[in-house]
Amino acid sequence: MRVVALRALILVAALLAWELGARAANPLLYVPPSAAVPALVRLLTLDSYPELPASLLLTLREIAIAYALAIAVGVGVGAALGLNRLVGRAYGPIVAALYAVPAVVWYPSLMLFFGLDAASKIAFGFLLGFFPITLAVLAGIRQVNPHMIAVARAFGARPPTVFAKVMLPGMLFTLVGGLRTGLALTVIGVIVGEILGAKAGMGTLINHAYGLFRTADYVALVGVTLVLIVGSDAVASLIERRARRWTE
Amino acid sequence: MSRRRIVGLQAASVLVLLGIWEAVARAGWVDPLFVPAPSAVAAAFPRMGRGALAGLGDTLAKTAVAYALSVVLGVAGGLVLGSARILREVLNPFVVALYGMPKILVLPWIVLLLGFGTTPAILYGAIHGFFPILVLVAGAVRDVDRTLVSVARAFGASPWQLYAKVVLPAIVPTVLAGMRLGIVFCLLGVLIVEMFAGIRGMGHVLNSLANGFQAPELFAATALVSAASIAIVLGLDALNERLSHWR
Repeated sequence: MRVVALRALILVAALLAWELGARAANPLLYVPPSAAVPALVRLLTLDSYPELPASLLLTLREIAIAYALAIAVGVGVGAALGLNRLVGRAYGPIVAALYAVPAVVWYPSLMLFFGLDAASKIAFGFLLGFFPITLAVLAGIRQVNPHMIAVARAFGARPPTVFAKVMLPGMLFTLVGGLRTGLALTVIGVIVGEILGAKAGMGTLINHAYGLFRTADYVALVGVTLVLIVGSDAVASLIERRARRWTE
Repeated sequence: MSRRRIVGLQAASVLVLLGIWEAVARAGWVDPLFVPAPSAVAAAFPRMGRGALAGLGDTLAKTAVAYALSVVLGVAGGLVLGSARILREVLNPFVVALYGMPKILVLPWIVLLLGFGTTPAILYGAIHGFFPILVLVAGAVRDVDRTLVSVARAFGASPWQLYAKVVLPAIVPTVLAGMRLGIVFCLLGVLIVEMFAGIRGMGHVLNSLANGFQAPELFAATALVSAASIAIVLGLDALNERLSHWR
């Protein structure tokens, strides 16, 4: 109880300090809450940016396509690495080394190749989501008890059955965690891509507001984008919890 | 299969991949304007020469400062948060929210405040590295074996001695793990700022090469940064290994 009160106190104090500090220093640069709220209202009533719904939809579509690709390729590559010992030992370290590269270095090449439209954002979101999913599938397969697989095979289970009945339940825990991380990174990738260079989407709106020094609109747009990001993660965590309950 | 044969297989696969790529590019199946052949990329290395190396040096220098800041502040903050239970409980949601907040959304604001150049890059890089280190260290301090702490206290250890002799040695592996994680985040943060609002550094070099449609140079520069970051991470891994033996 006391903890909650203290938290609330800190939040209120921070907002108050922000409000007073921003007014005293430079309201245009520091955007006090009293300026951010009206801007948010203007944004949500489609007054300041009428293209908001279209931009949200585009960003969501880019995320969905990139995530679907990341799952398909990530599960495929992860399974190839995990199921074949030689492939895993030879190429696993290469995938892990590439994961150590800050992914943003690939973005200019992707932008050159795919252009400024949605394709380069999808490619970058895919790239960011691909690694955690691949590595989770790989780790998941490695933690499945090999005796169980041997027994299932001995009783005449065919590979698809072994995968569905033995491996999937055994690795679900790890897999779902990787899928959640993958979604979070895909979302970030798409938005980073849009902010670094795009013609449409939430990142472009944010850039537009920033470029024109419409700082209150910028804060409002960031708020809306944040809802999108937190919302997608909340859905993912719900699914994660379901899956965990199912395995227990 | 022996380790040498694995390495041989890896090298052979990379060579085959490069060979296919070269053949595809030579045959004209891809537009060399966007996907240059490996030979063209190799030829671009000397042409980029000094500019790219200066850019890389600039980026690495900023990353080093950002990294030092994030390690020092992250470990210090982690020690404070991990030691004081009430502080940890009260601040936890704020730390989680700030850690989870996609930093890219505040980047335009940071650039508005600090302008173009070195300062925003260092700050943004440091923010990227700070939170994972803070969270890891705070958790490690919290989980230091209570028995050890009680025994040290019972034998009359001063608070200073408690930290120097019990807590710090106990969290060394976590600090090292955080440092290994933090470096990539710092580099990532610095590169993003350089791409978004840079006038120097590798991120800026990459961006201007892409905007100038200089694909061979772009690929060569990308390879250079990637190699540098892989080398840094592998170096830290090796250091980690050695220090853990020493422990």
